[in-house]
Order: sequence, then structure tokens, then C-alpha cells
Amino acid sequence: MTAPPGDATGSGRRHGAGRLRRWRSLRGRAALAFTALAALLTAVTSTGVWLTVSQYLLLQRERVTTAQSLANADRLQRGLRTEGLSAPQLLAQLPRETGSTSLLVDGGQWFTTSLRVGRDDLPLPLRRAALRGEASHQRIQLGGHTVLAVGVPLQGEGRAYFEVFPLDELDETYRTLGTVLLVAGAVVPVLALGLGWWLTRPALRPIDRVGAAAAAIASGQLDARIDHHGDPDLVPLATSFNRTAAALERRVRADARFASDVAHELRTPLTAMLGALSLVEQHRERLPGTGREALDLLQEEVDRFSRLVQDLLEISRSDAGSHDLVLEEVDLADFVCQALPEHAHPLVTRGPDGDGLVVRTDKRRLRQVVANLVDNADKHGGGLTRVTVARVGRNAEVLVDDAGPGVDPAERERIFERFARARGSASSSSEGAGLGLSLVERHLQLLGGSVTVVDSPEGGARFRVLLPLEVAPWRR
Amino acid sequence: MTRSVLVVEDDARIRRVVQLTLAGEGFEVVEAGSGEEALDALRHHQPDVVLLDLVLPGIDGFEVCRRIRRGSDVPIIMVTARADSHDVVAGLEAGADDYVSKPFVPKELSARVRAALRRANGASAPHTITVGPLEISPEDAVVLRDGTRLDLTRTEFRLLCELASSPGRVFSREELLERVWGYGYFGDNRLVDVHVHRLRGKVEDDPSRPAHIVTVRGMGYRIQP
Repeated sequence: MTAPPGDATGSGRRHGAGRLRRWRSLRGRAALAFTALAALLTAVTSTGVWLTVSQYLLLQRERVTTAQSLANADRLQRGLRTEGLSAPQLLAQLPRETGSTSLLVDGGQWFTTSLRVGRDDLPLPLRRAALRGEASHQRIQLGGHTVLAVGVPLQGEGRAYFEVFPLDELDETYRTLGTVLLVAGAVVPVLALGLGWWLTRPALRPIDRVGAAAAAIASGQLDARIDHHGDPDLVPLATSFNRTAAALERRVRADARFASDVAHELRTPLTAMLGALSLVEQHRERLPGTGREALDLLQEEVDRFSRLVQDLLEISRSDAGSHDLVLEEVDLADFVCQALPEHAHPLVTRGPDGDGLVVRTDKRRLRQVVANLVDNADKHGGGLTRVTVARVGRNAEVLVDDAGPGVDPAERERIFERFARARGSASSSSEGAGLGLSLVERHLQLLGGSVTVVDSPEGGARFRVLLPLEVAPWRR
Repeated sequence: MTRSVLVVEDDARIRRVVQLTLAGEGFEVVEAGSGEEALDALRHHQPDVVLLDLVLPGIDGFEVCRRIRRGSDVPIIMVTARADSHDVVAGLEAGADDYVSKPFVPKELSARVRAALRRANGASAPHTITVGPLEISPEDAVVLRDGTRLDLTRTEFRLLCELASSPGRVFSREELLERVWGYGYFGDNRLVDVHVHRLRGKVEDDPSRPAHIVTVRGMGYRIQP
């Protein structure tokens, strides 16, 4: 068999497509929806928390700093009025929190408690507002840090008090809060995906059950049904599925039974015919020439008919599912030899490890497999050329080669169908209108094996039978 | 001496063909069309072999088999519809010795009848064999266990004789099939298994844990010396 072009590259694509299909499954979609919902909720909650908390923290800070500034401005006012101390001394005496700076403008002269913060660091609108007599505050950047500048007007022309508070701590808090919210925003959807995948499994288990039942029926197990376990969502589906399956089963069984009944009914007259014929056969010598010829013809046809009826019975029985396997351990090479007609014994070759291969099998059926393959080789393959018994991995292999023209690749599956005969077969007679190979395939399926047809290296057809090996307990 | 065969078969055509075939082989044939007729015929004639179809109107073949076994060790060959069904095992358990399945050719049938008769004649070893508590006298077809006479069919007896002919040796199923039933390689091993089972039921104290006729896994059976 040749691989179609592009097959190697196609496998990666197929793999990707498989993964995609998995997410497009019901369960995948449910899990994804679950994830999306979780992500959305997390985003909304995070934003809300962020806005509320940051707003609240800022307000708190502003309230504290404004109160502090107002208190300091008040203290400064009183200090200036008593005129005991100079403006820089007064400023230095004011209680301040760590890192904050106090500034005083008095008639255009600026005083500050820190060399790093001067007049020009304060924004103009703040300065103007304070000098106009309005208290205000503003968040500004100062030397790479966020600070809050508060301006408080003082009594007297051109006089105002400013205080600059660091907001580093608040920024730190913002950063921590932001990180926590972002991490939560990233982790929650992942957890939600996992949780969704896990939670949807029990929810979708009924679908698995339906799928399993449908697959079982497709594979020929016609009595498979769905048990709805009283699940009200599943009851209507299960009921109609089971009803359909039951109807199908009845139909298939009825068909099979009909075939079986027909074959069954044929058996009694057939037995009578075989018996009567054999009685006539005993008096063959007393018959005239034409009578003998007619007898031979009859004998041949009755034999063929008998085989056909037996094959038909065998097949209809396996259709109806009533197959009682009688399993025994046999030495395969010996068995194959015994199943062949004596003149074919020299054609048997034991391949690698072909000796002592033990299979656990139904002797009657396996014998029929071998007999039918040999029969096929004789009738359609110009005769048997070789039978090889070998071990291939965990299987035993039986190769049956013939001297015929081989089987056309297009026919290789069809020849195992009932009453199929290879087109272009050399034999145009009505010989062996094929139930034989169909039965071979059936039997091997039952025995856990398989049959395929390939070209024999010598030119004819090669039927390749695989059977699972039994590891005999006493040889383990 | 003419051997007689009781043919129990409800289909008149088959009965006739079988009768002609067996008569052609020199057997005397007694015909019965139902189970009741068969049991009746058995009282008046002493057939050497019974050929019994399992599917019969009225009392079926299995029941006929069991009733025959209550008072007789005559070889019974059953005629079954199919070879692989449970019917075979059920028939053997009911007391049949061998079977043929339909459609059969007359040659096969007479071969089975002759094999049954050979078995019934028995006696391969002329002197008494003692194995454990069993005392087997092939000539008289008698087995005593601790002095009590056991009720064995001819085939069971033959099987016991084969096993006892070399105590301790393992006999494969194929070997027993050939020696007792006259089958080749493709004989049905269930014949041996069911007969061993039946035999154990008669000679063992606890048939589920046989002490005399033991199974050798993957090999066959042997009798403990």
C-alpha cells in the first residue's frame, strides 16, 4: 500500500485539528463558556475593587493631610502673630510626618524646611489659589515620586502655607493591590477552565453513555441499551434510542433467524438425500453408463449443496449471535498439518518460531478456516503452493500461498463478502459460490484473529491469517 | 450374530434411509418415531446400540436418554442439530456416549455405530487391575469400589480401563478419543471431558476434588496409582 502524498505533513495538521475538535466538543465549549464567565466576573470585580479601594485610600490620605495642613497653618498663623520667632524657626517647629515638607510664602518671600522642595516645585494654580484665599490640594510628581501638595491661605496679604506630603506608601499599597488583582485575574480563568472541564464531566456523562451504546450497536452488539438511571433529562432520549435499537435488533435477528431456519429446514431433506444417494452408490456397478454419469453428477451437486447448507447455517448462526466457542489449546503447526489433505503435508513450512506455537482456539472452526482456504486455493488459485506457520510478535501467522493469478487489489476486501467471487477469476464454473472465504473471516473474527489477502512473492495470492498467541501456563 | 440398532427419529424419511443404510451393513434395525415408542421398544427388544435424535415430539431426546440410563448401559449415539451447541454437552451429560450431527453421511453413521459396538465389547486387558480402592475386571465388565459394584456405562468402563491400563501415565484427550471412541485428530474433546466428569461422579468420594482421576493441565488425564 502506498501512502498518499503529503501524508507525513498532514499528520501534524490532523493532530492540531484533533485538539481543536476537542475544544469544539460540547464539553469543551461548556468549559470555555464557564471560563469566559469567570474571567468576566473576575475583571468586573477586580476593577470595582480597584476603583473603590484606591479612591477610598486617596480620600483618607487627603483628609488626614488636609487636616494636618490646616492645623499647621493655624499654628503658623498664631506664631507669626506673636512675632517671637522668625518664619524659618516657626516652620521648623511645626509637627510634621516623616518626609513631608512645609513651605511658607510671606509677601513674595519663600521659606521651606527642605532644600529639595521650593516655590517652583509647587504648581502655579495651587500657589495662586492659596494666595487668592482658597485652600486646595493637588497630586503632583516631584523628583520621580508622587506627592500631595496642600495649599492653605493665611491671614495677611501675600501669605500662604503649603505642605507637601509623600504618597509613596499609598503608591506601594496601590501596586500591591494591583498585583493581587492582576494575579487573581489571571489565575481565576485558568482554575475556572479546569473546574469547568471537571464539572462538566458528570454533567455530560449521559452523552458518553449514549455514545457508548451507539458505538456498541454499530460494532454489532445489538443488545446494547441506554440506562437512563432515572435522569429526567435523559429519559426521552434513552427511551427513543432504546426503542430504535430494539427494533433494529428484532429486525436483524429475524433476518438471521430466517436464514438459519431455511438452512435448518434444508438439513433434514439433505440428510435423506445424502443417505439415499449413498445407497444408490452401493449399486453403482449395476447401473448403465448414462446412469452412472448422472449419479456422479448428482453426487457432486448434493455434496456441494450440503457444504453450502452447512456454511449457511454456520454464518446465520454467527449472525444471530449464537456461537458457542469450544476453546482448546492446540499446537498450530501440527493442527494445520492435520487439517490439510495428506498430499499437501510436504507444502507446510515452519517459519521463524513456527514450532511449538500454542493457540487457544475452537478446533472445529479453525479446521474449517484451513479447509476453506485450501479449497479456495484449489478452485480459484491454481492449487496450493505453500503453507507457512510462523510467529509474528504476539500473534501466530498462517500464510496460504497459491499458484493462481493473485487477487486484484480492488477485489481484496470484496472476496470476503458472501457469494462474492473474484471478477476475472480463472474459474468460470459455478464452483464454490463463495461462502467459504466469508466464513473464514467470520470464524477468525470470533477467534480473535484476522485474515487478509496479499500478493505471494512467488506470484499467486497469499492469504494471511493472524491468531492471538496463547502463552501456555505450563510454559510460562 | 446379528447386532441390532434402535433408531429413534421422528422424521420418517430419515428413519427409512438410516434403516436401509444400517440394514445394508448387516444390522437389524428397530424403528421408533417418538420418545415413548423408543422406551417401549427398549422393553421388548434388547438393542446393542441406540441411535437417538434429540429433537422429538413428546418427551425429548435428553429425557429419553436419562430414562434409558436408569436401567441400561447400552451405547447411545445421539443425533444433534449442530455440533457446536450446548446440546452436545447436555446430551453427553444426560448419558449419551457419542454423537453425530445433521446432515450426516451414512458412512459416518455406520462408523459411529461400529465404534460403539467395539467399545461395548470392551476388554483390552484380561486380568483384574487394582487402582486405589478400585478393582477393575475387564473380562466381566465389573468395577468394584471398596467391594461395592459400580454402575458404569460401557463407554465409561472402557475409558476407565484405558486410564487404568497404565496407572500414573498421562493420556492426552486425543489419545483417549482415539482409543475409546475411534476418532482421529479432529475428534471432539468434549466427549472425553464429559465422560471423565461422569466417571468421577461414580468413582470419586468428592467429584469436585478428584483424588483418583486427575486432570493434568494442558496435557490430559491420568489415574493415580
